[in-house]
Amino acid sequence: MLWKDTYELGVPEIDAQHKELFRRVEAFLQVLRSKDHWEEKLPKIIETLEFMKGYVVEHFRDEEEYQKKINYPKYDAHKQVHMGMVDYVLEVSKKFEESKNDENLMQQFGGKLLSWLINHVAAEDQQIAAYAKSEGVSGNVR
Amino acid sequence: MLDKLYKAFIDATYNVFNLMLNISEISDHPLDEFSCDNGIDIVVEIVGELQGKVIYKFPVDTSLNIVNIMSGMEFDEVDVFVISAVSEIANIISGNVITALSDNELRYDILPPVQGTSDDDKEYEIKTGGCIITPIGEVCLDLRLNRA
Repeated sequence: MLWKDTYELGVPEIDAQHKELFRRVEAFLQVLRSKDHWEEKLPKIIETLEFMKGYVVEHFRDEEEYQKKINYPKYDAHKQVHMGMVDYVLEVSKKFEESKNDENLMQQFGGKLLSWLINHVAAEDQQIAAYAKSEGVSGNVR
Repeated sequence: MLDKLYKAFIDATYNVFNLMLNISEISDHPLDEFSCDNGIDIVVEIVGELQGKVIYKFPVDTSLNIVNIMSGMEFDEVDVFVISAVSEIANIISGNVITALSDNELRYDILPPVQGTSDDDKEYEIKTGGCIITPIGEVCLDLRLNRA
């Protein structure tokens, strides 16, 4: 299983979004890595890519809102990281369409997404939780 | 300077293995000669007041173990997915080093990782390397830098 309880931040709304993100990415990776023919996998791949384009933006917005609420000092840097990932997802999506659904491109995307997501949630987002705890401002987004 | 850089890379690798892979038993030894066996070479170029590159050498077994742990799936050969996943790990380690040394008087940044080769005829003022030993295999680093 991709999700680990140690990734929890203690902010219920954000944790729920992270779990959903991990669930979707795990399902995506299982399809991407299955032995089925590429054409059979394509509908699920395209569906996940579309989901990512929408959900990632929504989740990042909520997470940034929470950071602002608790006056997280690394807000600007964290927002830059989010923007970098959104740009990457959009770029891959565009290239995927232009390449008429190139499998290599999607395998490359899957590998990067796996490492990026785990690092972002297990390391970078944990710093938000540590700050909130140290300041006694844990809670929810709204 | 050399010691500080080397230590920063070792510390960053330790943190990444610890947080992302839950591996904390890590040791390192410096390498005079960069001679890890076959594997994936990932080159991260450094630009700015320090110029050069850091080359990460992930042996095949280490690469597969890393991806297996992260994904919870079975990968038994190196392909574009595995290369992309370990490239991102190299990118994360390098990014963490840049952040850790950000109060340094020198300004530098990293470029996106590329799969490459350690072959290079250029002369470097700063040249060091090390091998990091973990329960899932080794990762070797080769640092080659010049002051701009």
